[in-house]
Amino acid sequence: MKRLALFFALVLVLSMVLNACAGGPQTTAPTQPSPTTAQAEATAPVSTGKAELRMMMWGAPEELAIWKQIVADFQANNPEITVNVEVSEWEAYWTKLKTLLAAGTPPDIFAIDAPYYLDYQTRGVLLNLQPYLDAEPNLLDDVYPQTLKAYQTPEGYFGLPRDFQTIVVFYNKDMFDAAGVPYPSPDWTYDDFRATAKALTLDKDKDGVIDQYGYATDLWDMELFWSEVIWAFGGDIISPDHTQTLIGSPEARKAWRFIYDMMFVDKSMPDTTTAAQYGGDLFQAGKAAMTTIGHWAVPGYAEAGLNFDVVQMPAGPAGRATSVNSAGFVIAKNTKYPDAAWKFLKFVISTPAQTRLAELGFACPVLKSVAESPAFLDQPIKINHKVFLDSLEFARMKPVFKGYDEWASVIGDGMAPIWAGEEADLDAVLDEIIPQADDVLKQYNP
Amino acid sequence: MESGIRPLGREKIWLWILLAPTLFGLVFSAFGALLATLGLSFTEWDLFTPPKWVGLNNYIMLFTDKRFLRALTNTAQFAALYVPGVVIISLFVAVLMNRSIRGISLYRTMYYLPVVTSAVATALVWNLIYGKDTGVLNYILKQFGLQPVCWLCTDRAMLSVVIVNIWGAIGEGMIIFLAGLTAIPREYYEASEMDGANRFQQFFRITLPLITPSIFFQTLISTINAFQAFDYIYMLTRRGQGDSSIPVVVFSIYRNAWHFNKYGVASAQAIELTLIVAALMVIYLWAEKRFVVYE
Repeated sequence: MKRLALFFALVLVLSMVLNACAGGPQTTAPTQPSPTTAQAEATAPVSTGKAELRMMMWGAPEELAIWKQIVADFQANNPEITVNVEVSEWEAYWTKLKTLLAAGTPPDIFAIDAPYYLDYQTRGVLLNLQPYLDAEPNLLDDVYPQTLKAYQTPEGYFGLPRDFQTIVVFYNKDMFDAAGVPYPSPDWTYDDFRATAKALTLDKDKDGVIDQYGYATDLWDMELFWSEVIWAFGGDIISPDHTQTLIGSPEARKAWRFIYDMMFVDKSMPDTTTAAQYGGDLFQAGKAAMTTIGHWAVPGYAEAGLNFDVVQMPAGPAGRATSVNSAGFVIAKNTKYPDAAWKFLKFVISTPAQTRLAELGFACPVLKSVAESPAFLDQPIKINHKVFLDSLEFARMKPVFKGYDEWASVIGDGMAPIWAGEEADLDAVLDEIIPQADDVLKQYNP
Repeated sequence: MESGIRPLGREKIWLWILLAPTLFGLVFSAFGALLATLGLSFTEWDLFTPPKWVGLNNYIMLFTDKRFLRALTNTAQFAALYVPGVVIISLFVAVLMNRSIRGISLYRTMYYLPVVTSAVATALVWNLIYGKDTGVLNYILKQFGLQPVCWLCTDRAMLSVVIVNIWGAIGEGMIIFLAGLTAIPREYYEASEMDGANRFQQFFRITLPLITPSIFFQTLISTINAFQAFDYIYMLTRRGQGDSSIPVVVFSIYRNAWHFNKYGVASAQAIELTLIVAALMVIYLWAEKRFVVYE
C-alpha cells in the first residue's frame, strides 16, 4: 500500500511538472484538406447562401471598435455574410491562432505580420488567393507595390496587406526647444543625428545620473533601428536566398560600432538595463528626446501628452534607408466559405475600409489614394504624416523568410549582453553569433 | 503511512465517487498531456503539418544545443539556491509564528499574502525596488554612502530573482511547517523543560526531528516549483521575443514550441526536465527512509 501510494505520488508530481511546462499540447492531429478539394473550393462559384465568418487579429481595444465599424459597412452591402471579429493582445494572439490551426478549426480570416507569413504559407495552411486575383487583374493597381512584395510567392498571393509601417524619427519638440537645438532637417545625416542626440543628453541636477537621453530605442529586433543603420552604412542583413547572415560585413560592423559608440561613448542612448526602469519606451516616458518607430506609436505618444513631430531617417555613407513592414490578412485553407472570406478581404483594401483604418491612426493605409487623402494626412493628431509615405521611396522590406523568429532570436539574444552593457567586445560577439544564425538558416533551407 | 482508517463496505463506493472528479481530471488532462508530450518528443512537429517520426533525434540534439544547456545550468543553479532558501527561511518564519501573541493571524496573513497575489503584479513592484537609478534598494544604499548596484544585470540577476522567488514562497512553506509544529505534543517540551533543556536544545533535539516529515514534503514541493519557476523570472529578466537574461528550461520549452514551431524539441526538453525531477524524487524518497521520522 505504501509503495503504491508513493508511486502515485511520484506520477502525480511528474504530471504536475509536465503540465506546467507543456502548456497542454494538442493531441488532435491537424486536418489536412487535400490540395484538390481546396482548389475546387477556391474556384467554386459564388455561393448565394449565408456565411458566418470568424476573423481574428491582434490589436488594441480601439482597433476592435474600428473593425466592427468596417464589418458593419461591409454588411450593409453583403447582408448574407456575418463577420465576427476577435481581437487579442500580440503574444496571446499567436498562441491562440496556432492552437486553433492545429486543432483544424482555424478562424476563416486572420491577421498576419509579414515576417511570419512564410512560416504559415509554406506549411500549407493558407488559401491561395491567386485564382481570385487572376479574375480581377486590376484589384491591386492602387496598392503600394512595396507592401505587396512580402506576400508574393512562386505560386501566387496567399495573403494581402492591409496597412504598412515605415520607421521614421520621432522628436520631442519641447525638449529641442528647451535645449535650444533646432529641429532635425530632412536632409540630415547620421553624423547630424549623433550630434543632435549628444546635445540633447542632459544631467540636469548634476548627480551623475543622466536625466534625459538624446535618443532611445529597442535593439532586440532589427526593425526599429539597427537594420536601417546597417543599410545606410552600405551593409545588408541577409542574402536574397536566405542562406547567409550578412550582418558581419565590414560595412555592417561600422554600423554596429556607430550604435555602440552612441550608447557607450556618447552615452546619448540608454542601455537596456537603464531603459527597463522606465518600462522600455523612454520617449513615451518623456525621458528621451528622439526615438525611431512606426506610425503605430502615434496615438500612444499623443495620449502621453507629448509635443512631438516626425522626420525621415538620416542618411548614411551609402544613402538613406528605412524599413517597411506590413500587416495583412490571410484566409485559412480549410475555410467553409472561401468566397465570402475573399469578398471581405477585398473590402478591407477598398476605399471605405482603408479610410476607416486611416482615421484609426495606428498605421498607414496600403491604398495609395487613401494614404494621400486628408483621411490620413489630416488626422486629428497634427504631425507630418506625409513623412511615413515619403519614406517608402528609400524603404527596404523587413526581411521575410521561413524560420525568421528563430534566426532573429539568435541575433537578438546574442547581442543582448552588448546592449545591456555586460559585454564590450562587439566583434567577438558578432563572430560568435553569425555562424549560429547561419546554422538556423541551414535547418530551414536544407 | 500505514496509519489511518481503512474504508469499509459501502464507504468504498463513496470513496470512489468522491475521488472520481479528481481522477477524471488527472487521467484525461494530466496523464493525457504527459503521454502526448512523450509521444511528440520522438517527432518533428510544427503544429500544422503531420508529425514526422525522428526517433531519439530530439534528445540527442539536446546534448549539443548550447542554448538548452545554458538553460539547464540556470535551472540547476536556481534550484540549488532556491530550495534550501525556501525550506530554511519558511521553517524559521513558522517557528516565529508558532506562538500565541496578539495579532498573530495578521502576521501569518502578511507572510501568506505573496502566495495569493498575482506574480506579475508583485514582480512589477520588485522591478521598482531593484531599479538601477530609480530603485528603492539603491536609494537606501546611497543614503549610507554606498555605490548603487545593478541588481538585475546578468551577474547578479540570478541572486536577485531567487530572493523574489523565495519571498513569494515563504507563505506556503510556513503553512506546511505550522501544521507540522502544532502537531508536536506539548508534553515533550514540558518534559524537556523540567530536565533543564534550553530553547536551542529543544529546537534541535525535539522540534527538528519531529518536523522532518514536513521538511521532506516542503523540500519535495520546492524542488518541483524550482524546476517550474517562470513568472517572476520572466517578469524580472525578460527581453524581446520570449528571451530572458537568465533563461531557465521552462523558457526554452515555451520558446521552442510557441516561437520556433518546434513542438518535438520542446516536448523532448519537457520530458528531460521531468526525468531530472523524477531522478531527484528517487533520491529524496531514499533519503526519506533514512532521515525522516514518522511518529
